[in-house]
Amino acid sequence: MPDYWNVRRNADAILAVALLATIAALCILVPLLWPLDPIRGLLTATFRPPMTVVGEHLHPLGTDQLGRDLLARLGLGTAISLGIVVLASIISVVLGTILGMLAGYFGGWVDIVIMRAVDIQLAVPFILLILLIVAVVGPSMGNLIVVLGVTGWAIFARVARARTLEVRELEYIDASRAIGLSHLAIIFRHILPNIVGPQTVLLTLDMPRLIILEASVGFLGLGVQPPTPTLGNLIGEGRAFILLANWLVLYPGLVIGALVVGCNLLGDWLVRRADRRDA
Amino acid sequence: MKALSFVAGRALQGLVVLLGVSLIVFFALFLTGDPAALMMPPDASRAEIDAFRQAMGFDDPIWVQYGRFIGGVLSGEFGNSLRFQRPALDLLAERLPATALLALVALLWSSLLGFLLGTIAAVRRNSAIDFAIRVISLLGQAIPVFWLALVLIIIFSLKLRWLPSSGIGSLAHLVMPAIALGAYYLSAITRLVRASLIEVLGENYIRTARAKGITNWRIIVHHALRNAMIPVITVQGMYFASLLGGALITEIIFAWPGIGRLAVESIQTRDFPVVQAVVLFTALVFVVMNFLVDLAYLWLNPRIRL
Repeated sequence: MPDYWNVRRNADAILAVALLATIAALCILVPLLWPLDPIRGLLTATFRPPMTVVGEHLHPLGTDQLGRDLLARLGLGTAISLGIVVLASIISVVLGTILGMLAGYFGGWVDIVIMRAVDIQLAVPFILLILLIVAVVGPSMGNLIVVLGVTGWAIFARVARARTLEVRELEYIDASRAIGLSHLAIIFRHILPNIVGPQTVLLTLDMPRLIILEASVGFLGLGVQPPTPTLGNLIGEGRAFILLANWLVLYPGLVIGALVVGCNLLGDWLVRRADRRDA
Repeated sequence: MKALSFVAGRALQGLVVLLGVSLIVFFALFLTGDPAALMMPPDASRAEIDAFRQAMGFDDPIWVQYGRFIGGVLSGEFGNSLRFQRPALDLLAERLPATALLALVALLWSSLLGFLLGTIAAVRRNSAIDFAIRVISLLGQAIPVFWLALVLIIIFSLKLRWLPSSGIGSLAHLVMPAIALGAYYLSAITRLVRASLIEVLGENYIRTARAKGITNWRIIVHHALRNAMIPVITVQGMYFASLLGGALITEIIFAWPGIGRLAVESIQTRDFPVVQAVVLFTALVFVVMNFLVDLAYLWLNPRIRL
């Protein structure tokens, strides 16, 4: 019986998909179809509250300090933030998985060195490390992606290593070794497929951390530089005007909240499904 | 004997971590190739940069420089702040009490409330109140610190005019930063306590206690919570790093004069000796916290025969 359709049991997954689909619609449809410019505004129409009509254009979420339409900026900003986060997490997953598998497979010194590097990585608050590196190499979108990606590998390495340690002892790995497969072939052809599942789950659970981190860096003005909007930039720029125009801060925050809740619910649901299959 | 070697091993691991962080902090400056150009103001002339490079010893081989850096760190000497022309460590020491106060208050209220909510949710599992607590903790983890802080300011400072929006001085100044900083932590603790307690309540010894006719309240307080605390304690160390990271943002928004604000200001003004001092200090706190957590783990769970 397909229990995907059991609404009561999967209510959280349905809510997660609804939230994430709304966000996806926002960051795909708005930049493509919404007629207003996210970068250039009308200086005669600054700080208009949500649902104001200026000329023949409706501003559903209002305008900012330069008269730019907030919906247009929010759509583009969400898309850019998500792009950064997705690319960064790909770097984290690939790096973490490879290093974790190497640590688990070879053990000994390789293991010690890699796992101590994990400890070191986790001992410095991410935000501090990222700010430090960004301050040195300069703020740009490319740098931000690399820095977020490279600093996020540690948890993926831990999980990949733990799973590799389990799989390494299985008979088919012994068999592969007996027929003369190289270490690399065993790692990538026979161990990797066992790790993809857990890493996917971990990725959905790690995504919220990256989203908030990217937004924090943007909020501090050390992320992608203005006038390009990102979720963090929008809140950071809106911060100066909270007395005058609190919608500039409220709506981007709601998008972040929806994204994080969506990812968390989806992750929890995936964990639960994986547990049920194991049992 | 085994416990002793466990403790020594953990202490050694902590030292390795600190050494690693010192490497990161030191070599981060060389990412662009020329630390002298990085540390001087952008309008400095070529000759000024060269003189500065000479004075700071950036022409020496890199391992000599690293040795000098470590030697300095061990004797508590991080060099002078480029911005204030004062020892970086003094600046750190001045700002530390503010951060410690904020972090401790945030930790205290969120841990106490988190334990309470988590316990209620676990005991009344699948009830309406459990559902409400789970929704709150999910939202608490979803809301970024800076957004929550700004919303608090909008409500309590701008609309209601109850609390000051920034600065330090009175108890009223502490309320919003402590709430903003503790919110994430509250959610994390609540979720952990709930999950952990539900697991413990399913154990045989709890059923035995119930069969003996011990009251529900006594079972939870005396028999279940102690064991439920073990996983909670073990992740405390991990969360502590995120707490320090959150303190950074919170301090910026509420103009709280702590080390987080010092770090961001120093990064923005390229005051690298201060940045190095703050990062290394944070790592030290993290390592010490984790070490204490390991000790607590040993003490809480005598079943662990190492």
